[in-house]
This record gives sequence, structure tokens and C-alpha cells, in this order.
Amino acid sequence: MRQSSQCAAVVANVCVCFGSAVPDALADETCNSPYISNLIKGQEDFVHVWTLGVEGLGDGSDKLVTVDANPASKTYGKVVDSISVGGRGEAHHMGFTDDRKFLWAGGLDDSEIHVFDVGTNPSKPKLLRTITDLPAKTKFVGPHTFYALPGRMLIGNLSNTADKGGVTGMALYNNKGSLIARYDMPTASFGGVQGDGYGYDIAINPAKNVLLTSSFAGWQNYMRELGDLIKDAEAMKHFGNTMVVWNLKSMRPTQVLRVPGAPLEIRWSLAPGQNWAITAAALTAKLWLIKQGAGGAWSAREVGTIGDPAQVPLPVDISITAAGKGLWVNTFMDGTTHYFDLTDPEHPKQTYQRRIGTQVNMISQSWDGKRVYMTSSLLAHWDKKGADNEQFLRAFNWDGHALTPAFEVDFTKEKLGRPHHMKFSARANQSRTLAALAR
Amino acid sequence: MFRVSRRVAACVSILASAQAAVDVSPATAPRMEFTPLAPGTYQLQAIQSVEDTTLLDERARPVRLSALTKGKITLLTFFYTYCVDPLGCPFAHQTLTLLRDRILRDRELAREVRFVGISCDPGTDTPDVLARYAMEFTRGSRLEWRFLTARSVSALLPVLADFGQDVSVDVDESGRATRALHHMLKVFLIDHRGRVREIYSLAYLQPQVMLNDIRTLHLERRSGFAGAGTAVRRAQ
Repeated sequence: MRQSSQCAAVVANVCVCFGSAVPDALADETCNSPYISNLIKGQEDFVHVWTLGVEGLGDGSDKLVTVDANPASKTYGKVVDSISVGGRGEAHHMGFTDDRKFLWAGGLDDSEIHVFDVGTNPSKPKLLRTITDLPAKTKFVGPHTFYALPGRMLIGNLSNTADKGGVTGMALYNNKGSLIARYDMPTASFGGVQGDGYGYDIAINPAKNVLLTSSFAGWQNYMRELGDLIKDAEAMKHFGNTMVVWNLKSMRPTQVLRVPGAPLEIRWSLAPGQNWAITAAALTAKLWLIKQGAGGAWSAREVGTIGDPAQVPLPVDISITAAGKGLWVNTFMDGTTHYFDLTDPEHPKQTYQRRIGTQVNMISQSWDGKRVYMTSSLLAHWDKKGADNEQFLRAFNWDGHALTPAFEVDFTKEKLGRPHHMKFSARANQSRTLAALAR
Repeated sequence: MFRVSRRVAACVSILASAQAAVDVSPATAPRMEFTPLAPGTYQLQAIQSVEDTTLLDERARPVRLSALTKGKITLLTFFYTYCVDPLGCPFAHQTLTLLRDRILRDRELAREVRFVGISCDPGTDTPDVLARYAMEFTRGSRLEWRFLTARSVSALLPVLADFGQDVSVDVDESGRATRALHHMLKVFLIDHRGRVREIYSLAYLQPQVMLNDIRTLHLERRSGFAGAGTAVRRAQ
């Protein structure tokens, strides 16, 4: 515990002395919303893994799995907690509230949103409540991205209740779990580009008052077996080909950008003076740069290739370094991670790659970039079959040149399920909440 | 009950030791690299209502919070008088002072706006302390600027919970509270009806945007606009 308190370096958006900093950049720790306090800039203590339940494996339920990630701990690399939500709803992504006390975790199939308390005791999260009114109140389904705003959570969805296709929108809840507003993804033309109405990721640059969204596919595609889907030429037309630039204050779209091939995760470089974000298009295996021109308008431009697009490597998750100088890209089909030098974001250059497993999906890195965590599952119906269906959390150390394995959790052997999204937490050894002190 | 001493010297030494264990990044003031939208051209959503409670003012008089969150456009923030973080409470008050000066250029608007500060350390920030602290911000100003405290931490906790304002305190090795308080800087914009319409954390503390938001609420009231929530109601 003592060692943990020395290692767990939590930088807070706090009054007093710890700096109320706007983060210089986003990373996974670097990829959190810029409105989140308490970024962990030292050693994380825990990795929380939002895990899809598998029928016949353990309790079969979706669950939040907590793994000890502090090398100084006796339980380093071990599962220290697992909390089931009592059903399978296609667990996928999650996001912290602005105060980093609560983790909202969504199901792409049942559209339920589970709110976990990870602030009181991060080694033992508690399920506080489940929000079930998203489809009824917004007509959206498939809550994907959970993006903190001060006092509220902006949710990027994937589909809709009417035809379960890709036309969707965003929902805004307050931190108490009440719906505030809904916003349709644009289907009209903006700046000469037709909106397709599809949604996926959300990323905000506060200094620019700009919100960027990307686009994937609807329930009918993401809940279908991948092998069947690929053979269905008509269904393969129903993937997003756009990104949208929004005025954050008004929540109105200002531009639609043509980015073919399902642009997924968006990462801003928020270093002072920078005016760009980057994304990877899954179906075309291309990196795209979204940049503001001298006149203030934004443009999207293809700037790099990931692996061999002819082999459909399927880039799925990306993670930008804190300084915005490097980018990890995971390609699902070949189970490989790629590191790109982003010193010149107009010309990303791959400098390293390593096969991680038979399949690999999410990637999260520590603020200092020295530790990298990867999970295996993409979607229940898109994961590989048989022996290729490895399900793991694998942790690595990164020295700037090569990845070295640190620890691994076999999620099948542990009867947990399919691990997907990860978030970090740290013990608050040096402080107590005012409420706790008043008791 | 949480109590802290008022010895500033002790505060500084504790802060210094706390910093040594914390990886502190350079604090960054909010940047604004855009032209804010004109007032009234956008809508501010109703984020939440404010639950009523009784607090104490600078003269130790009981005050209903609702009396200071309704009837005018209110900017409310949590603070404590001995905060020394240049991008913490002092920055918030510096921003509000700048904003006050701009608001005062419009007499009609100035009558419609108030600022409220609530201490998150009632043990230290007694009404007497608040009265002295308030002088710097209220002397000679026509804009209503009120400072409140609570009878106890227990009385304050429901207010903090309602606003989602997390406050924690560093403890020493024996588990005793030190003078290092942590709270995420937030300023709440509340409309005439007592509904929170915007929340400014540090990245959002942009005076021109805040002024335009205030003017937007002012225009909304003058036009009799029903306010936020319509987007959701349309969808239902």
C-alpha cells in the first residue's frame, strides 16, 4: 500500500497545488475526455476491463473485470474483482464522468448503460445504477462512446430503433442519469458533402470549440456474423463514410467530411499550437488527418496506410501518445500492433510492429507511454472462431523501440468472457473525501 | 467533523510535501482559438435543477439557497478562502471579476446577474472570514456577489452532492486531515428558474463565452422562451 501511494501519481484538476491543468494532449490515459480530472500521469494501480459475457463460460454475464496493474503489488497481473451486470448485452465501451468517480459502460445490443462507482474503492467497483431509457427517449440504440462534459455525459450511438441501421445520433445525460437532449447525426449536405447520419466516436477540442464525430455501422451489421456480413455486398454498403465537425457550444454540425471506409476512433493532438486530429478507417486500412486550414475550415486527408489493405487487416483501435508524437494502431485480423511516428502528422511513418495474438482489438497506454495494454475481442459476432478465438488482456512495457511482455490474463481460462474496453484507475492513498472525513 | 487550522505556513509546507509525491504537470490556462457564437443564436440545455437548502451568509444569517439561485442569472462556484492554486479558486475569482466588469457596462444586464460563492471548508471559512474575504470582490461594486458557508461539513455535503462537486482532503500518515483540499474547479450558470444551464470547468472558463451565455439566458427570458428540454420532448 505504501509503495502504491508513492507510485500512484495522480494529477488532479484540483484547487490547491496540483494544477488545474487542461491536459496537454489526450492519451488512453491519453484518450480520455479533456474535461476529466485526475489524469494518472504515473503508475496506474488497476485496469478495468469491460467484458462481454460468453454463454456457458462462468456466469455468462457481461462484467467489469478489475486487474491489478501495479508491479509493486502482491496481486500484480491478477484479477482482483469481477462484477457482473446480470445479462449479455454486448458490452463494448465505457467512459469516466468528469470527476473520474464513476464509469459509464454500455451494451451495444441491449442499449443498457451501467454506472459503476470506481472512485470510492477502485479495487472493488460497485454497480450503482443501470440506465435503460436510451432507446425509448432518444430512438437511438447501441451506446458506444461515453464522453465526459462538465456535469454530464455525451454518448455517441451506433444505430436506431426504427430499422436498426446506421442512422443515429448522440444523447446527452446529466451525471445523475437523466436525459437532457438528443442530437441527430446529419443527413443533409454541409459544405457540399452529404451526411450519412452514421455515428461512432466523439472527440472534443475545447480550445477550438469543435466536436468531431466518426461513423461505423448499425445494429444489423455489428450484430451479424462477420463471415456472413462480408459476403453480403448490399450490407457492406451500409458503413459510415463521413466525419462531422460540430460547433460544440450550439451542438450543430458545421461541416461533413468525406472519410470513406468506416472512420473509427478519433484522437486530437491538443498540444498548444496544434490543430489536428487523426483517425483510422477500418475497411480501407488508411490513416486520415483532420486539420484546420488558415481560413478556419476543416479538411480530411488520407495520410498513411496500415499494413496491407489488400489483406483487410481491419484497424480497430488507435492510441496517441501524450505529446501527440506517436500512434499505436491495432489491426484485428492479423493480431498485430503497429507504432507510427507522428512527428510529422502529414506523413505518419511506421517504425515498429509486433504480432500480439491471433486477434487483437483495444489498446490503452499509460500517460508516459511506458506501459501498453491490449485486449482481444472486437464484437461477439466478429471475433474469430475455434483456436483463433484467443481472449486475453496482455500488458507490455515499451522502451521506445520494442514491446516486452509484462503480464497476461487469459479471459477464457479465468471464465470471464471476451475482454474489450479498458480504463485505468489509481488508489487515492493520500486523500479522503470530505464525506468520509465527516463520518 | 473535518476541521483544519488556519496557519498558512503549515499549509504551504504540507503542500510542498504533497507535491513531491505527485507528478505535477505544468498548469495550462484555458485557450480560446475561436470566435464565440453571438448571444441568442444557440440554446443552453437544462442540465439539472438545484435542490434547496439553508446556508449561512457573511453575517451568519440563515439563507435559503433557492433565494440566491432563482430570480436572476446566477454564476455559482465552490471555493475556499485560502486556496493558493493559481489555476484554482483565485483563477475562478479572477475570471469572475473580469466578467463582472464587462457585465457592469450594461446596466440592465447587471441588475439581472448575481455571483455566488460557497465555501467547501466551513470549518475554516466562518461568516467572519467570509465577510473579510468578500470585501475584495464586493466593495464599490453594483453587481450582487454573495459568499456563503455552511454550519458544518454535514450541512454542506448534500449541496456538494447535488452539484456533483467532489471535494477531498489530503491526510497525513496517521490519517488526519491536512490543509490540502482538492476540488475540481467548476462554475455553474443557473437561470432565473433555478436550473443549471452550463457548467464551466477550467477548459471552459472563457469570459467572452460566459458573457455570451449570460446574454443568451437574458434574451431567452425577455422573449419568454420556454427554455431547454424541447429537443428531448420532441423526440418522445
